[in-house]
Amino acid sequence: MTKTKIEIEPLARVEGHGGIKVEIKDNVIKDVQVKILEGPRLFETLVIGKTPEEDLSLVPRICAICNLSHKYASLRALEKALDIKVPAVTQTYRQLMHHGEMLESHSLHLYFLALPDFFGYDNAVAMAEKFGEVVQNALALKKFGNKIMRLMGGRMIHGENPVLGGFGKLPSRESLLELKEEALHHLDFAMATIDILAGLEVPDYLERDTQFICLKPPHGEYDYYGDILLASDGKEYPLEDYKKVIIERTVSHSFAKRSAYNDRPFTVGAIARVLNLGDRLKGKAKEAYDKLVNERWYRNPIYNNFAQAIEQVFSLEDVVRIVDELLTAEIPKIVKPPRGSGTGTGGVEAPRGTLIHHYTIENGVTVDADYITPTAMFLDDIEAFIRKSGETLLAKNEMDGIELKLEMVARAYDPCISCSAHLVTVDFE
Amino acid sequence: MSSDSSDKSKPRVGIYGLTGCAGDQLLLIHCEDEILDIFNAFDIRSFVMASSNPIEDDMDVALVEGSVSTEEQKEHLLEIRKRSKILVAIGNCATVGGVQAMYAQDGTFKDRMKKVYGDMKFITAPMEGQPLDAFVTVDYYLPGCPISAKQALPLLSRLLHGASPEPFPHPVCHECKLQENKCLLLDKKFCLGPLTQGGCGAVCPSHGLPCVGCWGPNPDANFNEHVKLLESFGMTKDEVIRRIRNFGGHKILQYIKDL
Ligand code: SF4
Ligand code: SF4
Repeated sequence: MTKTKIEIEPLARVEGHGGIKVEIKDNVIKDVQVKILEGPRLFETLVIGKTPEEDLSLVPRICAICNLSHKYASLRALEKALDIKVPAVTQTYRQLMHHGEMLESHSLHLYFLALPDFFGYDNAVAMAEKFGEVVQNALALKKFGNKIMRLMGGRMIHGENPVLGGFGKLPSRESLLELKEEALHHLDFAMATIDILAGLEVPDYLERDTQFICLKPPHGEYDYYGDILLASDGKEYPLEDYKKVIIERTVSHSFAKRSAYNDRPFTVGAIARVLNLGDRLKGKAKEAYDKLVNERWYRNPIYNNFAQAIEQVFSLEDVVRIVDELLTAEIPKIVKPPRGSGTGTGGVEAPRGTLIHHYTIENGVTVDADYITPTAMFLDDIEAFIRKSGETLLAKNEMDGIELKLEMVARAYDPCISCSAHLVTVDFE
Repeated sequence: MSSDSSDKSKPRVGIYGLTGCAGDQLLLIHCEDEILDIFNAFDIRSFVMASSNPIEDDMDVALVEGSVSTEEQKEHLLEIRKRSKILVAIGNCATVGGVQAMYAQDGTFKDRMKKVYGDMKFITAPMEGQPLDAFVTVDYYLPGCPISAKQALPLLSRLLHGASPEPFPHPVCHECKLQENKCLLLDKKFCLGPLTQGGCGAVCPSHGLPCVGCWGPNPDANFNEHVKLLESFGMTKDEVIRRIRNFGGHKILQYIKDL
């Protein structure tokens, strides 16, 4: 009995409605498709004719898990377009906000969406029976991320508080001190996680070479934003040139667009950041990096889960640093736009990778908009790693449980789609 | 998928997402203090965003997020309705159509599809986002973009005990008063609070920012007078209506048709 088709639908424990289809003929893989069947929402057209304020309310709705990254990328783009220069302290508050999202999203993905696979469970709640402490601590860490998001965003999801030029309301001194204390508290668990991961066996059936892209922070430290695209071949590109660097195309099995760099698939996300910028890590994050990173990371996206764990440590430590800085800083005012027209490209690192928003504003109204999401960037890469996995497993005749193995590859990227429910189907011939 | 799915005393629940941002499902996952209890009290048969190996058969309650935006999703929704005793629409996309339906029925959908995707044909036909009740009977509505835990948890508790969830027929302004905020309209600032269903706790006005209407239209609102008021602040009627439509989806059409 040989399989001719592997169909995994729905792809569970990812955000969104997707599936995987692998076609096999004469024991050779003919086609691999990661299907994104989330219906189209056409955000690029929804914002046309709108004011920048409306754009900022609408774009977080592209994705709930990284809603603040969308708001942040739009803020960076729109502020460039309208020549708004926010004071350094406003930027620091935004970094704090973004750490909240990193912690919320990474902890959700790592403990609740990815780890159950490693321990053989359907979900994290089932895992709680045996790994109660890990699950409880993970919930507490996620709650902490959400607390920062609520404080800085105004709500946990889709908050209106970050506005053009600043914030509606800034956190009190007491709230900031509370964040610092809690961040220090969660650091122990974040480091314990590094040890848990160090003991896990990472499968090698998927390994192949790829390329990594992330934003280069404008300062010498590790960070989640920048105006330069940094690729693992050492090349750097101004963000405004993103269309020449990241080439997009549409495919019929997906309402998400596809992208390539140098005509080849590439990876974005925590693993790309850690590999491209890891030498900038300090403190406990550096310790975590030294414990986990090895040469196999360059060929194996499952390590993205590990990279997220390293970033959890980095974000917690950076929250402490930021709070200390903010406690002595002046309260910034909201900066008003000096002009009503212009073009701007904004980039941030969303938890799952580089996110680019681009606008042209004319007389206070949006006339053009473009968004490239991390999932659109790495879908080709997922397909390539799934193909490689299929080839290896086929050659070794290890077809039992292949669905889970392929799903794990896709899940490692932490893709952002929206779910649906069908059963996994496998065709035998 | 749940370990004790044989427990007949627990209501069987399915949580589904059509087209949206997954924010309403995420809100449930983000109830860190309650999530383990939710999984214990209910027999959660299908919740693909959080768990593998869903069991798809008859259920007591289906919570459905997202708008219907492809033919495949329409079929899926009809099939969920057949299998569920109670169907709850969760979130703005499911209750009114979501931001993707802000141009509802203005005839631009085809052109906008073409603008983003070119002439591509997809394996399932796309359609302009529609709320669930355009295709099936919806028993209860949880509005919001996303829903709030303050409204979602009481609804779940009531369903757990076989009681009917209570509607919340108050505008955002009602909650804004409870927060003792100064009304933005007194300063001649734009706000959609009076036109919007309450339930969020008036968070945006509490941050000194306007309500942009994300809970969807409040059926009791006086749309006519509010549009006039905002016009008196110097906005054009077109601009006001455009902003009302951002989160008003299909349902807004009945309220603004005579304006
Ligand atoms: S209602 Fe809002 S939060 Fe819910 S899926 Fe739609 S866009 Fe997301
Ligand atoms: S105040 Fe208005 S825009 Fe803000 S969350 Fe509430 S309903 Fe949504």
